[in-house]
Amino acid sequence: MRKGLIKATDSFERIVHWCLAISCLILCITGLGMMFQSFNFIGTLMGGLKSLKYVHNFTGIFFAVSLFFTIRMWWREAGVLDLPDDWEWIKVAGGYLWHVDKVPEAGKYNVGQKAFFLVVAGFGIIMILTGLIMWSPLSFPAWLVRWMFVFHALGFVAIFAFFFIHLYLGTVGSPGSVDAMLTGWVTRAWLKKQHPKWLREMEENGTLEVFGEEKPGAGHGHGH
Amino acid sequence: MTEVVKLIDVSKCTGCRSCQLACKQWNQQPAKQTKHLGTYQNPPDLQSNTWTLIRFQEVADKDGVKWLFRKDGCMHCTDAACVKVCPSGALYHTSYGTVGINHSRCIGCKECVSACPFDIPRYDRDTDKVYKCDLCLSRIEADLTPACAKACPTGAITFGEKTAMIKKAYARVKELGGDANVYGDKFVGGTHVLYVLAEKPEVYDELPKKPSVPIATILWKDILKPLSLISAGGVLGGAFLHYIIHGPKLPDEETNTKEGGE
Repeated sequence: MRKGLIKATDSFERIVHWCLAISCLILCITGLGMMFQSFNFIGTLMGGLKSLKYVHNFTGIFFAVSLFFTIRMWWREAGVLDLPDDWEWIKVAGGYLWHVDKVPEAGKYNVGQKAFFLVVAGFGIIMILTGLIMWSPLSFPAWLVRWMFVFHALGFVAIFAFFFIHLYLGTVGSPGSVDAMLTGWVTRAWLKKQHPKWLREMEENGTLEVFGEEKPGAGHGHGH
Repeated sequence: MTEVVKLIDVSKCTGCRSCQLACKQWNQQPAKQTKHLGTYQNPPDLQSNTWTLIRFQEVADKDGVKWLFRKDGCMHCTDAACVKVCPSGALYHTSYGTVGINHSRCIGCKECVSACPFDIPRYDRDTDKVYKCDLCLSRIEADLTPACAKACPTGAITFGEKTAMIKKAYARVKELGGDANVYGDKFVGGTHVLYVLAEKPEVYDELPKKPSVPIATILWKDILKPLSLISAGGVLGGAFLHYIIHGPKLPDEETNTKEGGE
Protein backbone atom coordinates (compact mmCIF):
# COMPACT_ATOMS: atom_id res chain seq x y z
CA MET A 1 0.00 0.00 0.00
CA ARG A 2 1.13 3.48 -0.79
CA LYS A 3 0.80 6.60 1.26
CA GLY A 4 -2.13 8.71 0.17
CA LEU A 5 -4.29 5.89 -1.19
CA ILE A 6 -7.93 6.00 -0.15
CA LYS A 7 -9.96 3.12 1.17
CA ALA A 8 -12.89 2.40 -1.14
CA THR A 9 -14.04 -1.02 0.07
CA ASP A 10 -13.66 -3.01 3.27
CA SER A 11 -12.49 -6.60 3.40
CA PHE A 12 -15.99 -8.00 3.93
CA GLU A 13 -17.22 -6.31 0.76
CA ARG A 14 -14.27 -7.68 -1.19
CA ILE A 15 -14.71 -11.23 0.10
CA VAL A 16 -18.43 -11.23 -0.72
CA HIS A 17 -17.74 -9.76 -4.15
CA TRP A 18 -15.14 -12.44 -4.90
CA CYS A 19 -17.44 -15.22 -3.68
CA LEU A 20 -20.19 -13.93 -5.95
CA ALA A 21 -17.82 -13.45 -8.88
CA ILE A 22 -16.22 -16.88 -8.65
CA SER A 23 -19.49 -18.75 -8.12
CA CYS A 24 -21.14 -16.78 -10.94
CA LEU A 25 -18.27 -17.61 -13.27
CA ILE A 26 -18.34 -21.32 -12.41
CA LEU A 27 -22.11 -21.32 -12.95
CA CYS A 28 -21.77 -19.62 -16.34
CA ILE A 29 -19.08 -22.03 -17.52
CA THR A 30 -20.77 -25.19 -16.26
CA GLY A 31 -24.12 -23.89 -17.50
CA LEU A 32 -22.67 -23.46 -20.97
CA GLY A 33 -21.45 -27.05 -20.77
CA MET A 34 -25.05 -28.21 -20.36
CA MET A 35 -26.73 -25.69 -22.64
CA PHE A 36 -24.63 -26.40 -25.72
CA GLN A 37 -23.68 -29.92 -26.69
CA SER A 38 -20.62 -28.45 -28.39
CA PHE A 39 -19.49 -27.32 -24.91
CA ASN A 40 -20.00 -30.76 -23.36
CA PHE A 41 -16.21 -31.07 -23.21
CA ILE A 42 -16.23 -28.70 -20.22
CA GLY A 43 -17.72 -31.63 -18.33
CA THR A 44 -14.73 -33.76 -19.21
CA LEU A 45 -12.59 -31.53 -17.01
CA MET A 46 -14.82 -32.46 -14.09
CA GLY A 47 -14.99 -36.17 -14.78
CA GLY A 48 -18.04 -36.14 -17.00
CA LEU A 49 -21.20 -34.18 -17.62
CA LYS A 50 -22.92 -35.73 -14.63
CA SER A 51 -20.26 -34.37 -12.28
CA LEU A 52 -20.59 -31.03 -14.06
CA LYS A 53 -24.29 -31.08 -13.23
CA TYR A 54 -23.48 -31.53 -9.55
CA VAL A 55 -20.81 -28.81 -9.65
CA HIS A 56 -23.38 -26.50 -11.22
CA ASN A 57 -26.15 -27.31 -8.74
CA PHE A 58 -24.07 -27.04 -5.60
CA THR A 59 -22.23 -23.93 -6.78
CA GLY A 60 -25.73 -22.53 -7.14
CA ILE A 61 -26.19 -22.81 -3.39
CA PHE A 62 -22.88 -21.04 -2.81
CA PHE A 63 -24.03 -18.36 -5.25
CA ALA A 64 -27.32 -17.97 -3.39
CA VAL A 65 -25.52 -17.35 -0.10
CA SER A 66 -23.13 -14.90 -1.76
CA LEU A 67 -26.03 -13.09 -3.41
CA PHE A 68 -27.84 -12.80 -0.09
CA PHE A 69 -24.88 -10.99 1.47
CA THR A 70 -24.34 -8.95 -1.68
CA ILE A 71 -27.88 -7.61 -1.65
CA ARG A 72 -27.90 -7.02 2.10
CA MET A 73 -24.62 -5.12 1.88
CA TRP A 74 -25.17 -3.00 -1.23
CA TRP A 75 -28.89 -2.51 -1.89
CA ARG A 76 -29.05 0.82 -0.08
CA GLU A 77 -26.14 2.28 -2.02
CA ALA A 78 -26.48 0.53 -5.36
CA GLY A 79 -30.10 -0.53 -5.48
CA VAL A 80 -31.83 2.82 -5.22
CA LEU A 81 -31.68 5.64 -7.77
CA ASP A 82 -30.63 9.01 -6.44
CA LEU A 83 -32.96 11.41 -8.23
CA PRO A 84 -32.70 13.86 -9.85
CA ASP A 85 -28.90 13.61 -10.09
CA ASP A 86 -29.02 10.07 -11.49
CA TRP A 87 -31.47 11.17 -14.16
CA GLU A 88 -28.93 13.70 -15.41
CA TRP A 89 -26.38 10.91 -15.56
CA ILE A 90 -28.74 8.68 -17.57
CA LYS A 91 -29.38 11.46 -20.11
CA VAL A 92 -25.70 11.56 -21.07
CA ALA A 93 -25.07 7.83 -20.42
CA GLY A 94 -22.44 8.87 -17.91
CA GLY A 95 -20.23 10.15 -20.70
CA TYR A 96 -19.29 6.58 -21.58
CA LEU A 97 -20.73 6.47 -25.06
CA TRP A 98 -20.25 9.90 -26.61
CA HIS A 99 -18.39 13.06 -25.75
CA VAL A 100 -19.95 14.97 -22.89
CA ASP A 101 -18.49 18.26 -21.69
CA LYS A 102 -19.58 17.92 -18.13
CA VAL A 103 -20.50 14.52 -16.78
CA PRO A 104 -22.85 14.67 -13.81
CA GLU A 105 -20.96 13.77 -10.69
CA ALA A 106 -21.41 10.23 -9.48
CA GLY A 107 -21.71 9.16 -5.87
CA LYS A 108 -20.44 5.85 -4.54
CA TYR A 109 -22.16 4.07 -7.40
CA ASN A 110 -23.05 5.58 -10.74
CA VAL A 111 -26.25 4.62 -12.55
CA GLY A 112 -24.44 2.09 -14.70
CA GLN A 113 -23.19 0.30 -11.63
CA LYS A 114 -26.61 0.49 -10.07
CA ALA A 115 -28.11 -1.03 -13.20
CA PHE A 116 -25.59 -3.82 -13.02
CA PHE A 117 -26.37 -4.41 -9.36
CA LEU A 118 -30.10 -4.54 -10.09
CA VAL A 119 -29.61 -6.95 -13.00
CA VAL A 120 -27.45 -9.29 -10.94
CA ALA A 121 -29.72 -9.07 -7.89
CA GLY A 122 -32.98 -9.41 -9.85
CA PHE A 123 -31.92 -12.06 -12.31
CA GLY A 124 -29.80 -13.74 -9.62
CA ILE A 125 -32.92 -14.32 -7.53
CA ILE A 126 -34.71 -15.60 -10.65
CA MET A 127 -31.79 -17.95 -11.36
CA ILE A 128 -31.93 -19.34 -7.82
CA LEU A 129 -35.70 -19.87 -7.79
CA THR A 130 -35.90 -21.37 -11.27
CA GLY A 131 -32.77 -23.42 -10.61
CA LEU A 132 -34.22 -24.94 -7.47
CA ILE A 133 -37.37 -26.00 -9.32
CA MET A 134 -35.28 -27.41 -12.17
CA TRP A 135 -33.29 -29.37 -9.60
CA SER A 136 -36.34 -31.44 -8.62
CA PRO A 137 -38.57 -31.16 -11.68
CA LEU A 138 -40.69 -34.20 -10.87
CA SER A 139 -42.12 -32.44 -7.82
CA PHE A 140 -43.69 -29.74 -9.97
CA PRO A 141 -46.14 -29.73 -12.90
CA ALA A 142 -44.43 -30.12 -16.28
CA TRP A 143 -45.72 -26.82 -17.71
CA LEU A 144 -44.16 -24.92 -14.81
CA VAL A 145 -40.81 -26.69 -15.17
CA ARG A 146 -40.78 -25.91 -18.91
CA TRP A 147 -41.09 -22.18 -18.19
CA MET A 148 -38.40 -22.36 -15.52
CA PHE A 149 -35.91 -23.26 -18.23
CA VAL A 150 -37.01 -20.22 -20.24
CA PHE A 151 -36.48 -17.83 -17.34
CA HIS A 152 -33.22 -19.52 -16.39
CA ALA A 153 -31.98 -19.03 -19.96
CA LEU A 154 -33.25 -15.43 -19.98
CA GLY A 155 -31.33 -14.73 -16.78
CA PHE A 156 -28.25 -16.23 -18.37
CA VAL A 157 -28.59 -14.01 -21.45
CA ALA A 158 -28.74 -10.93 -19.21
CA ILE A 159 -26.10 -11.90 -16.65
CA PHE A 160 -23.63 -13.29 -19.17
CA ALA A 161 -23.76 -10.14 -21.33
CA PHE A 162 -23.62 -7.81 -18.32
CA PHE A 163 -20.72 -9.79 -16.91
CA PHE A 164 -18.52 -8.84 -19.86
CA ILE A 165 -19.55 -5.18 -19.62
CA HIS A 166 -18.68 -5.32 -15.92
CA LEU A 167 -15.36 -7.02 -16.63
CA TYR A 168 -14.41 -4.44 -19.24
CA LEU A 169 -15.39 -1.39 -17.20
CA GLY A 170 -13.79 -2.83 -14.08
CA THR A 171 -10.44 -3.33 -15.76
CA VAL A 172 -9.11 -1.93 -19.04
CA GLY A 173 -12.12 0.30 -19.67
CA SER A 174 -11.54 2.20 -16.45
CA PRO A 175 -7.95 1.80 -15.24
CA GLY A 176 -7.59 1.95 -11.48
CA SER A 177 -11.01 0.45 -10.76
CA VAL A 178 -9.88 -3.09 -10.19
CA ASP A 179 -7.90 -2.02 -7.11
CA ALA A 180 -11.19 -1.46 -5.30
CA MET A 181 -11.87 -5.18 -5.72
CA LEU A 182 -8.31 -6.39 -5.14
CA THR A 183 -6.92 -4.41 -2.22
CA GLY A 184 -9.66 -1.91 -1.55
CA TRP A 185 -7.26 1.05 -1.79
CA VAL A 186 -7.65 3.43 -4.72
CA THR A 187 -5.97 6.64 -5.79
CA ARG A 188 -7.48 10.02 -5.05
CA ALA A 189 -7.28 10.86 -8.75
CA TRP A 190 -9.37 7.83 -9.63
CA LEU A 191 -11.97 8.68 -7.00
CA LYS A 192 -12.10 12.26 -8.21
CA LYS A 193 -12.74 11.10 -11.73
CA GLN A 194 -15.11 8.22 -11.01
CA HIS A 195 -16.96 9.13 -7.84
CA PRO A 196 -16.38 12.82 -7.09
CA LYS A 197 -19.58 13.22 -5.13
CA TRP A 198 -18.72 10.29 -2.89
CA LEU A 199 -15.22 11.63 -2.32
CA ARG A 200 -16.70 14.97 -1.30
CA GLU A 201 -19.23 13.31 0.97
CA MET A 202 -16.54 11.30 2.70
CA GLU A 203 -14.45 14.40 3.20
CA GLU A 204 -17.39 16.33 4.58
CA ASN A 205 -18.48 13.51 6.86
CA GLY A 206 -14.95 12.82 7.97
CA THR A 207 -15.18 9.19 6.92
CA LEU A 208 -12.36 9.40 4.41
CA GLU A 209 -9.70 6.84 5.24
CA VAL A 210 -6.31 7.73 3.79
CA PHE A 211 -3.43 5.30 3.97
CA GLY A 212 -0.66 6.58 6.24
CA GLU A 213 -2.95 9.05 7.92
CA GLU A 214 -4.78 8.68 11.15
CA LYS A 215 -8.12 6.96 10.91
CA PRO A 216 -11.09 9.27 11.01
CA GLY A 217 -13.15 9.24 14.12
CA ALA A 218 -10.25 7.92 16.16
CA GLY A 219 -10.58 10.81 18.54
CA HIS A 220 -8.40 13.34 16.79
CA GLY A 221 -8.73 15.61 13.82
CA HIS A 222 -12.16 15.91 12.31
CA GLY A 223 -15.00 16.31 14.67
CA HIS A 224 -18.31 14.69 14.05
CA MET B 1 -31.59 -45.62 -44.19
CA THR B 2 -35.32 -45.73 -44.72
CA GLU B 3 -37.60 -44.40 -42.05
CA VAL B 4 -39.74 -46.90 -40.20
CA VAL B 5 -43.12 -46.70 -38.55
CA LYS B 6 -44.86 -48.86 -36.00
CA LEU B 7 -48.59 -48.86 -36.62
CA ILE B 8 -50.93 -49.54 -33.71
CA ASP B 9 -54.43 -50.36 -34.80
CA VAL B 10 -56.41 -50.06 -31.57
CA SER B 11 -59.51 -51.53 -33.23
CA LYS B 12 -57.72 -54.86 -33.41
CA CYS B 13 -56.36 -54.77 -29.88
CA THR B 14 -57.85 -57.23 -27.40
CA GLY B 15 -55.89 -55.96 -24.40
CA CYS B 16 -53.97 -59.21 -23.98
CA ARG B 17 -50.80 -57.37 -22.96
CA SER B 18 -48.48 -59.64 -24.95
CA CYS B 19 -46.70 -56.52 -26.18
CA GLN B 20 -46.19 -55.35 -22.61
CA LEU B 21 -44.62 -58.65 -21.66
CA ALA B 22 -42.56 -59.02 -24.84
CA CYS B 23 -41.13 -55.56 -24.21
CA LYS B 24 -40.08 -56.54 -20.71
CA GLN B 25 -38.61 -59.80 -21.97
CA TRP B 26 -36.54 -58.40 -24.81
CA ASN B 27 -35.29 -55.45 -22.78
CA GLN B 28 -34.73 -57.64 -19.69
CA GLN B 29 -36.79 -55.44 -17.43
CA PRO B 30 -38.12 -56.95 -14.19
CA ALA B 31 -41.56 -56.16 -12.86
CA LYS B 32 -42.10 -53.50 -10.25
CA GLN B 33 -44.38 -53.66 -7.26
CA THR B 34 -47.84 -52.76 -8.48
CA LYS B 35 -51.09 -51.93 -6.77
CA HIS B 36 -54.73 -52.68 -7.34
CA LEU B 37 -56.66 -49.66 -8.50
CA GLY B 38 -60.01 -51.36 -8.95
CA THR B 39 -59.47 -51.55 -12.71
CA TYR B 40 -57.70 -53.86 -15.10
CA GLN B 41 -54.98 -51.23 -15.55
CA ASN B 42 -51.70 -52.86 -14.58
CA PRO B 43 -49.12 -51.51 -14.01
CA PRO B 44 -50.95 -48.26 -13.27
CA ASP B 45 -48.68 -46.18 -15.50
CA LEU B 46 -45.48 -46.22 -17.53
CA GLN B 47 -42.47 -46.85 -15.30
CA SER B 48 -38.74 -46.60 -15.69
CA ASN B 49 -38.78 -50.31 -16.51
CA THR B 50 -42.19 -50.44 -18.20
CA TRP B 51 -41.73 -48.75 -21.53
CA THR B 52 -45.04 -49.70 -23.00
CA LEU B 53 -48.40 -50.67 -21.57
CA ILE B 54 -52.00 -51.07 -22.53
CA ARG B 55 -54.22 -48.38 -21.14
CA PHE B 56 -57.55 -49.94 -20.18
CA GLN B 57 -60.45 -47.59 -20.38
CA GLU B 58 -64.12 -48.21 -19.79
CA VAL B 59 -66.45 -45.93 -21.69
CA ALA B 60 -70.20 -45.80 -21.60
CA ASP B 61 -72.05 -46.15 -24.88
CA LYS B 62 -75.66 -46.73 -25.78
CA ASP B 63 -75.48 -50.49 -25.17
CA GLY B 64 -73.84 -50.16 -21.78
CA VAL B 65 -70.09 -50.22 -21.37
CA LYS B 66 -67.29 -50.88 -23.81
CA TRP B 67 -63.54 -51.19 -23.49
CA LEU B 68 -60.92 -49.09 -25.16
CA PHE B 69 -57.41 -50.45 -25.26
CA ARG B 70 -54.53 -48.23 -26.22
CA LYS B 71 -50.91 -49.28 -26.23
CA ASP B 72 -49.02 -46.31 -24.82
CA GLY B 73 -45.31 -45.61 -25.21
CA CYS B 74 -42.81 -43.40 -26.99
CA MET B 75 -44.18 -41.91 -30.21
CA HIS B 76 -40.72 -41.36 -31.75
CA CYS B 77 -41.37 -37.82 -32.97
CA THR B 78 -39.52 -36.35 -35.93
CA ASP B 79 -39.45 -33.00 -34.12
CA ALA B 80 -38.76 -34.51 -30.72
CA ALA B 81 -38.84 -32.15 -27.74
CA CYS B 82 -36.78 -34.61 -25.68
CA VAL B 83 -33.94 -34.61 -28.19
CA LYS B 84 -34.13 -30.82 -28.34
CA VAL B 85 -33.68 -30.37 -24.59
CA CYS B 86 -31.27 -33.23 -23.85
CA PRO B 87 -28.02 -31.52 -22.77
CA SER B 88 -25.75 -34.51 -23.28
CA GLY B 89 -26.91 -36.06 -26.52
CA ALA B 90 -28.17 -39.13 -24.68
CA LEU B 91 -31.43 -38.81 -26.62
CA TYR B 92 -30.85 -38.77 -30.36
CA HIS B 93 -32.46 -39.37 -33.72
CA THR B 94 -31.51 -42.67 -35.28
CA SER B 95 -31.15 -43.15 -39.01
CA TYR B 96 -34.54 -44.90 -38.93
CA GLY B 97 -36.20 -41.67 -37.75
CA THR B 98 -36.80 -43.11 -34.29
CA VAL B 99 -35.54 -41.59 -31.03
CA GLY B 100 -32.75 -43.62 -29.48
CA ILE B 101 -31.42 -43.33 -25.97
CA ASN B 102 -27.80 -43.81 -24.95
CA HIS B 103 -27.86 -44.40 -21.22
CA SER B 104 -24.13 -43.98 -20.75
CA ARG B 105 -24.57 -40.32 -21.65
CA CYS B 106 -27.70 -39.67 -19.57
CA ILE B 107 -26.97 -37.39 -16.60
CA GLY B 108 -30.37 -37.69 -14.95
CA CYS B 109 -31.31 -34.03 -15.39
CA LYS B 110 -34.93 -35.02 -16.24
CA GLU B 111 -35.27 -32.18 -18.76
CA CYS B 112 -36.84 -34.60 -21.24
CA VAL B 113 -39.43 -35.70 -18.67
CA SER B 114 -41.04 -32.27 -18.52
CA ALA B 115 -40.47 -31.45 -22.21
CA CYS B 116 -42.18 -34.51 -23.72
CA PRO B 117 -45.68 -33.60 -24.99
CA PHE B 118 -46.76 -37.24 -24.52
CA ASP B 119 -45.41 -37.61 -20.95
CA ILE B 120 -43.35 -40.68 -21.83
CA PRO B 121 -39.82 -40.63 -20.31
CA ARG B 122 -39.59 -42.05 -16.79
CA TYR B 123 -36.82 -41.34 -14.31
CA ASP B 124 -35.24 -44.07 -12.21
CA ARG B 125 -33.86 -42.92 -8.89
CA ASP B 126 -31.59 -45.95 -8.41
CA THR B 127 -29.62 -45.48 -11.62
CA ASP B 128 -30.23 -41.70 -11.83
CA LYS B 129 -31.17 -42.11 -15.47
CA VAL B 130 -34.22 -41.76 -17.67
CA TYR B 131 -35.78 -44.62 -19.62
CA LYS B 132 -38.20 -45.00 -22.50
CA CYS B 133 -38.95 -47.20 -25.51
CA ASP B 134 -36.27 -47.14 -28.21
CA LEU B 135 -38.48 -49.05 -30.66
CA CYS B 136 -36.18 -52.03 -30.15
CA LEU B 137 -33.30 -50.38 -31.97
CA SER B 138 -31.16 -53.47 -31.45
CA ARG B 139 -33.79 -55.56 -33.21
CA ILE B 140 -34.39 -53.08 -36.05
CA GLU B 141 -30.66 -53.02 -36.71
CA ALA B 142 -30.73 -56.80 -36.94
CA ASP B 143 -33.59 -56.58 -39.45
CA LEU B 144 -36.15 -57.82 -36.94
CA THR B 145 -39.46 -56.22 -35.99
CA PRO B 146 -39.82 -54.67 -32.51
CA ALA B 147 -40.62 -57.18 -29.78
CA CYS B 148 -44.14 -55.80 -29.22
CA ALA B 149 -45.02 -56.11 -32.91
CA LYS B 150 -43.56 -59.62 -33.01
CA ALA B 151 -45.62 -60.71 -30.01
CA CYS B 152 -48.95 -59.18 -31.00
CA PRO B 153 -51.33 -62.08 -31.77
CA THR B 154 -54.07 -60.06 -33.50
CA GLY B 155 -52.05 -57.97 -35.91
CA ALA B 156 -52.86 -54.77 -34.04
CA ILE B 157 -49.17 -53.85 -34.02
CA THR B 158 -47.39 -53.90 -37.34
CA PHE B 159 -44.06 -52.51 -38.38
CA GLY B 160 -42.53 -51.43 -41.66
CA GLU B 161 -41.36 -48.72 -44.01
CA LYS B 162 -42.87 -45.32 -43.25
CA THR B 163 -44.81 -44.40 -46.41
CA ALA B 164 -46.20 -47.91 -46.78
CA MET B 165 -47.37 -47.89 -43.17
CA ILE B 166 -49.04 -44.49 -43.49
CA LYS B 167 -50.85 -45.75 -46.57
CA LYS B 168 -51.90 -48.84 -44.68
CA ALA B 169 -53.18 -46.71 -41.80
CA TYR B 170 -55.38 -44.59 -44.04
CA ALA B 171 -56.69 -47.65 -45.84
CA ARG B 172 -57.69 -49.16 -42.51
CA VAL B 173 -59.40 -45.93 -41.38
CA LYS B 174 -61.40 -45.93 -44.58
CA GLU B 175 -62.38 -49.52 -43.90
CA LEU B 176 -63.46 -48.73 -40.33
CA GLY B 177 -65.34 -45.54 -41.19
CA GLY B 178 -67.17 -43.53 -38.53
CA ASP B 179 -64.92 -41.64 -36.13
CA ALA B 180 -61.85 -43.71 -37.04
CA ASN B 181 -58.76 -41.62 -37.70
CA VAL B 182 -55.01 -41.76 -38.16
CA TYR B 183 -53.12 -40.25 -35.25
CA GLY B 184 -49.48 -39.21 -35.46
CA ASP B 185 -48.54 -38.25 -39.01
CA LYS B 186 -49.81 -34.66 -38.79
CA PHE B 187 -47.92 -33.23 -35.82
CA VAL B 188 -44.41 -32.90 -34.30
CA GLY B 189 -43.05 -33.47 -37.78
CA GLY B 190 -44.76 -36.83 -37.94
CA THR B 191 -44.36 -39.53 -35.34
CA HIS B 192 -42.79 -42.91 -36.02
CA VAL B 193 -45.49 -44.61 -34.02
CA LEU B 194 -48.92 -44.19 -35.61
CA TYR B 195 -52.32 -45.05 -34.27
CA VAL B 196 -55.42 -46.07 -36.06
CA LEU B 197 -57.92 -44.84 -33.50
CA ALA B 198 -61.48 -46.08 -33.58
CA GLU B 199 -62.73 -43.04 -31.67
CA LYS B 200 -61.79 -39.36 -31.76
CA PRO B 201 -58.41 -38.71 -30.07
CA GLU B 202 -59.98 -36.80 -27.16
CA VAL B 203 -61.88 -39.93 -26.12
CA TYR B 204 -58.65 -41.68 -25.11
CA ASP B 205 -57.09 -41.12 -21.70
CA GLU B 206 -53.64 -39.55 -21.55
CA LEU B 207 -53.60 -38.88 -25.28
CA PRO B 208 -53.03 -35.22 -26.18
CA LYS B 209 -55.41 -33.97 -28.85
CA LYS B 210 -52.91 -31.72 -30.58
CA PRO B 211 -49.42 -32.50 -29.29
CA SER B 212 -46.60 -30.11 -30.12
CA VAL B 213 -43.13 -29.18 -28.98
CA PRO B 214 -43.91 -26.89 -26.01
CA ILE B 215 -43.68 -23.18 -26.84
CA ALA B 216 -41.43 -22.75 -23.79
CA THR B 217 -39.01 -25.32 -25.21
CA ILE B 218 -38.88 -23.48 -28.53
CA LEU B 219 -38.35 -20.12 -26.83
CA TRP B 220 -35.58 -21.56 -24.74
CA LYS B 221 -33.73 -23.64 -27.32
CA ASP B 222 -34.29 -21.73 -30.55
CA ILE B 223 -34.25 -18.13 -29.33
CA LEU B 224 -32.65 -17.61 -25.93
CA LYS B 225 -29.90 -20.19 -26.37
CA PRO B 226 -28.34 -18.61 -29.47
CA LEU B 227 -29.13 -15.15 -28.09
CA SER B 228 -26.93 -15.78 -25.06
CA LEU B 229 -23.82 -16.23 -27.19
CA ILE B 230 -24.78 -13.51 -29.66
CA SER B 231 -25.30 -10.91 -26.94
CA ALA B 232 -22.14 -11.87 -25.07
CA GLY B 233 -20.18 -11.74 -28.33
CA GLY B 234 -21.77 -8.38 -29.13
CA VAL B 235 -20.74 -7.03 -25.76
CA LEU B 236 -17.16 -8.22 -26.20
CA GLY B 237 -16.98 -6.68 -29.66
CA GLY B 238 -18.64 -3.54 -28.38
CA ALA B 239 -16.16 -3.27 -25.53
CA PHE B 240 -13.26 -3.58 -27.95
CA LEU B 241 -14.71 -0.88 -30.22
CA HIS B 242 -15.40 1.31 -27.21
CA TYR B 243 -11.77 1.00 -26.17
CA ILE B 244 -10.33 1.91 -29.55
CA ILE B 245 -12.90 4.59 -30.47
CA HIS B 246 -13.98 6.25 -27.25
CA GLY B 247 -11.06 5.14 -25.11
CA PRO B 248 -10.91 4.16 -21.46
CA LYS B 249 -11.93 6.49 -18.68
CA LEU B 250 -8.65 7.60 -17.18
CA PRO B 251 -8.08 9.62 -14.02
CA ASP B 252 -6.73 13.09 -14.79
CA GLU B 253 -2.95 12.91 -14.86
CA GLU B 254 -2.01 16.11 -13.07
CA THR B 255 -3.84 15.26 -9.88
CA ASN B 256 -2.56 11.71 -9.79
CA THR B 257 -0.03 12.18 -7.03
CA LYS B 258 -1.28 15.35 -5.42
CA GLU B 259 -3.16 14.97 -2.23
CA GLY B 260 -6.31 16.85 -1.71
CA GLY B 261 -5.49 19.20 -4.58
CA GLU B 262 -8.67 21.10 -4.97
